[in-house]
Amino acid sequence: MSADSTAKTTPPPVVQVRDMDFCYGASPALFGINLKVKYRRVTALIGPSGCGKSTLLRCINRMNDRVPSARVTKGEVLVKGKNIHDADVDLTQLRKQVGMVFQKSNPFPKSIYENVAYGLRIHGEKNKSVLDEAVERSLRQSALWDELKDRLNANALALSGGQQQRLCIARAIATLPDVLLMDEPCSALDPIATLKIEELMHRLAQEYTIVIVTHNMQQAVRVSDYTAFLHLGKLVEFAPTAEFFTNPLEKLTESYLRGTFS
Amino acid sequence: MKAPASTSRPSLGSLLLKKQQRPFLGIDKQRAIRLFFASNSSVAIIVLVLIMLFLLREGMDFLPTYRHELETYRRAGLEFCDIINRPLAEHQALCSKLRRAASASLNTLTHTARTRRDAAYELMREVEEETRLQRAILSDALAQIPAASPEKLTRLRQEMRAATTLAAARLQTPAALTPEEGRRLQRELTLLNPEVPELPPLLAALSADYIRVDREAHATFKPLVDAVEAFEAAPDALHTLLDAMKKHARETKAHVTELHGSGKEPSHSKPVDFDLSIVPLTSGITELTAKVEEYTLLAQKTADTMPAAAGTPQAVALLAEMRARLPDHLAAMRQAAASLPAWSHSKPVSYLEVAIAFFLGDAWITNSSWQDFFGFVPLLTGSVLIALIAVLIATPFSVIAAIYTNQFASEREQEFIKPVIEFIQAIPSVVLGFIGISLLGDAIKGVSEWGWLQWIPSFPIQERLNMFNAACLLALMAVPTMYSLAEDALNNVPRSYLDASDALGATKLQTVFRVIVPAAKSGIAAAVLLGMGRVIGETMVVLLVAGNRIAIPDFSAGPGVVFQPAHTLTGIIAQELGEVSRGSAHWQALFMVGIVLFLISLLVNWCARAFVRRFELAKS
Repeated sequence: MSADSTAKTTPPPVVQVRDMDFCYGASPALFGINLKVKYRRVTALIGPSGCGKSTLLRCINRMNDRVPSARVTKGEVLVKGKNIHDADVDLTQLRKQVGMVFQKSNPFPKSIYENVAYGLRIHGEKNKSVLDEAVERSLRQSALWDELKDRLNANALALSGGQQQRLCIARAIATLPDVLLMDEPCSALDPIATLKIEELMHRLAQEYTIVIVTHNMQQAVRVSDYTAFLHLGKLVEFAPTAEFFTNPLEKLTESYLRGTFS
Repeated sequence: MKAPASTSRPSLGSLLLKKQQRPFLGIDKQRAIRLFFASNSSVAIIVLVLIMLFLLREGMDFLPTYRHELETYRRAGLEFCDIINRPLAEHQALCSKLRRAASASLNTLTHTARTRRDAAYELMREVEEETRLQRAILSDALAQIPAASPEKLTRLRQEMRAATTLAAARLQTPAALTPEEGRRLQRELTLLNPEVPELPPLLAALSADYIRVDREAHATFKPLVDAVEAFEAAPDALHTLLDAMKKHARETKAHVTELHGSGKEPSHSKPVDFDLSIVPLTSGITELTAKVEEYTLLAQKTADTMPAAAGTPQAVALLAEMRARLPDHLAAMRQAAASLPAWSHSKPVSYLEVAIAFFLGDAWITNSSWQDFFGFVPLLTGSVLIALIAVLIATPFSVIAAIYTNQFASEREQEFIKPVIEFIQAIPSVVLGFIGISLLGDAIKGVSEWGWLQWIPSFPIQERLNMFNAACLLALMAVPTMYSLAEDALNNVPRSYLDASDALGATKLQTVFRVIVPAAKSGIAAAVLLGMGRVIGETMVVLLVAGNRIAIPDFSAGPGVVFQPAHTLTGIIAQELGEVSRGSAHWQALFMVGIVLFLISLLVNWCARAFVRRFELAKS
C-alpha cells in the first residue's frame, strides 16, 4: 500500500493532542505533547515508569478531572476535531465515545450480562432487545460469547483473571466508542491470557481506534501500528512501529530500546 | 589456609545445633511469651463462658420451680376457679360498652341542662374563690365565743358585700346562659354570704332543672338503662359462688405455702391433703354449671330485650358490637363449664406444659394474691416491636447519611459530620430517657392532636410514654452504630469500581446508586442488624419511656399499635430483679428472660457476621 493512497483514504486523526502541558498542582507532568492518533490503528505509548504515559492516556477521556489539582495548562486535546475542554462538551458523552480499560480488571459485582449492559443502561437504554443485541455483539467481539453465552447471569467475579479483563473490554465497547484507551491491560495477566488479549486487540483494531499504554516493548511491537516514546514528560519520538523499533531517530529512544538507559 | 578458616567460622555442624536455652519451670522463653499472649486472648472467652454457665445455672432451675408452682395452682384448685373466671372477664368488657352506650344516649338529652348548671356553678365558684379571705374572716367572727361586737360584724358584712360585688361585676356570662340570666346571677351572687346557706335562686332552679331532665332522660331510655343494669347484675349469683370457691382455694394455697415457707420439715402440722381440700370445689361443679347456665340465659335474655335504638350513632354501634360479641362469650362460658368435670387436681404438670406456659404465656403477673404467672410473650412482643420500629426509623437516616458523607460530602463536611454522629453514642441513655419523658412524649402527644393528622390510626394518642416514643430514642442510639458500619461498608467498595463506572460516562449519582451501594449492600445489611442488636439490648430508655404496661399490645389497632405502652425483656429485668427474693420463682424467671435475651443477641450478631462474610467473599 503506497503512502499516497493511504493519505487519501485515511480520515483525519481521531485524537489529536496539540502542544499540551499538563500539571498536577504546581508540579508539571507533561510538556508540549503533540500526538495524532490514527483512525482504526493501534497506538502504543511506551516509556520508563513515571514518564507520564498513563497521564497522557487519561488526558484523552479527561479521567484526570477526578484529581482536584490536575489540569491542562497549555495546548488542547481534540477528539474527532472537537476540543474536549470546551465548555459545551458533555463529559458523559465524551466518555461514551472514549472507552477505557484499566490495568487491573475491575468488573462490577453483578452478573456478566449486567456488566456489559451497564454502559448502555446509564445512557438511558431500556429496550431489552437492544440491550440483548449489544451484549451479544460486545461479547462476540471480545471473544467471550462462546465461553459465557450459557451463563450470562453468573456473577462476573467468578470468572478467571483473563476472562474478567476481556469482560471489561466488552463492557467498554458495548457503547460503541470511537476510541478505546487501554492502560497496561495485560500487566496482571499470565502469558496465555496476555496472548488472548493481544489477539483480541488485532481484531478490535478493525473497528476501533486503540491507544495502549504498555511497559512491555515486545507487546508494543506485537500489537501496535504506531509507537510513541515518552521520557520525563516529553514525547521523545512518535513513529510507525516498524520504523520506531528498527530505525529510531532519537538517541534517547535508541538507548531505551537497547536497554542501556540511565 | 585451612586452619584460620576453621577457627574464625564455626563448623556447619555446630551451626545447625539448637541454641542452648535455660528453661524456666520447664518452659522456654519463646513458649512463655506465646502463652502470655494466648492467655490474654482467652480471658475474654473464659469470661463469656462463665457468664453463660452462670445464667444457665440460675435460669434452668426456673422450669422445676415454676412447675412446682403450677402444680400447687392446680392441686389447690385455683386453676379450677380460673376455668370459669377467665372467660368471665369478657363480661366486664361488654358491660363497659353498654355503659358507654347508655351514658352517650342520656347525654344527648341532659347535655344542655347540665352545661347550664355547670356554667352557673363555675361562676359561683369564681366569686367564692375571689372572696375567700373575707369569707373566712366573717365565718370566724360569727363562730367566735363570746360573739363579736355587732359593729365589727356589720363592718365585716359590709366588706364581704363589697368583695362579692367587685367579684360579681368582673364575671362574664358564659355561652350556655342567656345575657339576662347572666345579669340575674351576677345580682344574686353579690348576696353570697356564709350566713345564707341556700344556693342563689337561679342556681337552685338550674339544678332542679337538670335533675328533672335527667329523670326524664332515664325514663326515655328506660329500656336501655334497665338492660345495662340487668346485664351488669346477670353474673351476680355466679360471682357469689365463684368467690366462695376462690376463697377456699386461696386458703388451701396459703396453707401449702406456709408449710413450705416454714422450713423443709413441716413438723408442727400435717401436710395438706389435696384430695380432701378439693372436695368442696369438685362437689360444686353441678351448682357452678347451673349458675353458668343461669348467667348465659340471663345475659342472652337481656341482649334480646335490649333496644337496638340509642341516642347517638356511636351508641348504636356500641350496642351492635356488644350484641355481636355476646354469642362467642356465652359459648366460651358454656364450654368452660362443660370442661369442668374433665378437670382433675391430681393430673401432674408436664415440663412441656411449663415450657408452653412460659414461652407462649400471654400474661406476666407477679406479686399477685391469687397466682403468679410468668408468660414471656408480652415482653417479647414489646421488645421486638420497639426494636423493629427503631430500626425502621434509624435505617434510612443512617444509611443515607453514610452514603452522603462517603460519596458526596466535601472533606470539611466529613470532618464535621462523622464526629458529630459518632458523638451521639456518648450521650448517656438515662439522659435520653429524660428527653423522652419530658420533651418527646409531650411533643408526640401534641402532634397527635393536630386536626389534619387525624387520618393516622389511633390519633390522638392516649399515652405520652409509648413504644413509638421509646423507639424514636432507640433509633437515635442506633444511628451511630449503623452509620459507622454502613460508612465502613461503603468505604470498602474497591475504588476500581468507581474508575470503571466513571470511565463509562456515568454521573456521580448513577455510580453511587448502581455500583457503590449495591456492592456494599451486604455490609449495610450487617450494619442494620448490628444496630438492631444494640437496640434490643438497650435497657434504660425503654424502662423510662416505653410505658411499662405488661400486656400484649392490641394489634387490632393496626399500625396505631405503636402508640401503645409496652414492657420489654430488658426493662423487666432491670425493674424487678432488685426487688425479688433470691432463688424465688420470680427471680429465676427473670434469669430465664436474661437467657433468651442473650440468645436473641447472639442470633442477631451471628446473622450480621454471616452477611459480612458474604460481603467479603464477593469482594475477593
